[in-house]
Amino acid sequence: MDVQTVDKILDKFPDTTGNLIAILHEVQNHFNYLPEAELRYIAKKIDIPITQIYSIVHFYNRFTLSPKGKHEISICLGTACHVKGAGKILDELKEKLEINPGDTTEDMNFSLEVVRCIGACSLAPAVVIDEDTYGDLTPKKLTKTLSKYK
Amino acid sequence: MAEMINLTINGKKVQAPRGKTVLEAATDADIYIPTLCYHPALEPEGTCRLCIVEVSGSLRKGIRVSCIQEVKEGLVVETETEEINKHRRLLLELFLGRSPDSPYLIDLAARHGVTSSRFLTGESNDCVLCGRCVRVCRDEIGAYALCFVNRGPDRKVTTDFERLSEYCIGCGSCAQVCPTGAIQVQDRGNERKISTWGQVFAKFKLERCDHCGTPFAPAKYLELINKKAYQPKGLELVDYICPECFKNRDRASEKRKASALRSSVVKWSVPR
Ligand code: SF4
Ligand code: FES
Ligand code: FES
Repeated sequence: MDVQTVDKILDKFPDTTGNLIAILHEVQNHFNYLPEAELRYIAKKIDIPITQIYSIVHFYNRFTLSPKGKHEISICLGTACHVKGAGKILDELKEKLEINPGDTTEDMNFSLEVVRCIGACSLAPAVVIDEDTYGDLTPKKLTKTLSKYK
Repeated sequence: MAEMINLTINGKKVQAPRGKTVLEAATDADIYIPTLCYHPALEPEGTCRLCIVEVSGSLRKGIRVSCIQEVKEGLVVETETEEINKHRRLLLELFLGRSPDSPYLIDLAARHGVTSSRFLTGESNDCVLCGRCVRVCRDEIGAYALCFVNRGPDRKVTTDFERLSEYCIGCGSCAQVCPTGAIQVQDRGNERKISTWGQVFAKFKLERCDHCGTPFAPAKYLELINKKAYQPKGLELVDYICPECFKNRDRASEKRKASALRSSVVKWSVPR
């Protein structure tokens, strides 16, 4: 367990209880997920029951308890994207990466997640990889886009 | 004495102390309002919405949640209007959709004329997600062993990381307050197992009664009782009496008196 890193993060927040979400964000940004040992350590240190933290981590989609891939793919299955064929894009992703939504590829390169409308309906069907949005996708364009993230 | 508030429930004039809820006022006046997440020993959370009532008079006409709505002078409450019943039946149908095999829920729904559900999923779990277990463990016992995880249809009750809990003290309060029996406490020999959602979430060795030798309560639970009930009074718990022996005080009384005199320690029992 990386006590030093966690302590450093905790030190940034004078009000640890009130800033639990922000703390969890920082921990996740550092480790790429929320490791159990670190969460238990935080619970003890800031005196919040681990069940409360566990509940919160489960409540927000953003938090994850298992390591995520290097690149995070969010595929939109919102109304507009759905109508414009997001289903086919999802099928293509599943086949190419050999994973289901919520999972991470074996080489830890990609994680796949389904979202509902990312506010880019004019670009439907849309996919977000890390911070970048790709629109008007076809299975072919998708393959090309993916190859940029090796 | 608390100031008394006058209100009308189903045409009946009712008085209740300030600060009481409409549900409590109704119950005291023998007026039935169905509930699910409410439990008299717990802070109300108002999540199941079964206890909705129609208010008017001193509050803007509308539907309120009676287990969290405080009484108000001049309040007029109706507990069974057509609209309320319509909403209630829909709620019960939804609850029945997730717990179609729970005898408690089947009975509750039937009492409101709901005998089937359009929301069956093919899955069935007796837990109606009322949260009573989580609240009693958190607010009354202070063990924080249980929590909700996931959202929407995946929501469920479990422990941290869904493993055997190190925080559970084995008191069984969760099972006691669960309306549907979705949490089970099983004592076999000197072992207690507590489970829900098909998962055993806590295991304990049961301590033996000092009088009859029957295993009856986990040590962590006894410790808590000592800390909460006895130590604040300057007393210390020295030996254990199971509920059976406690009932049969005569049998135990001599030994009890002797040790009470010796250490001025109160004997006690654990309700199960
Ligand atoms: S296990 Fe029982 S008490 Fe706990 S949320 Fe489910 S129904 Fe309510
Ligand atoms: S539906 Fe996909 S971006 Fe709006
Ligand atoms: S009993 Fe009032 S909302 Fe559940």
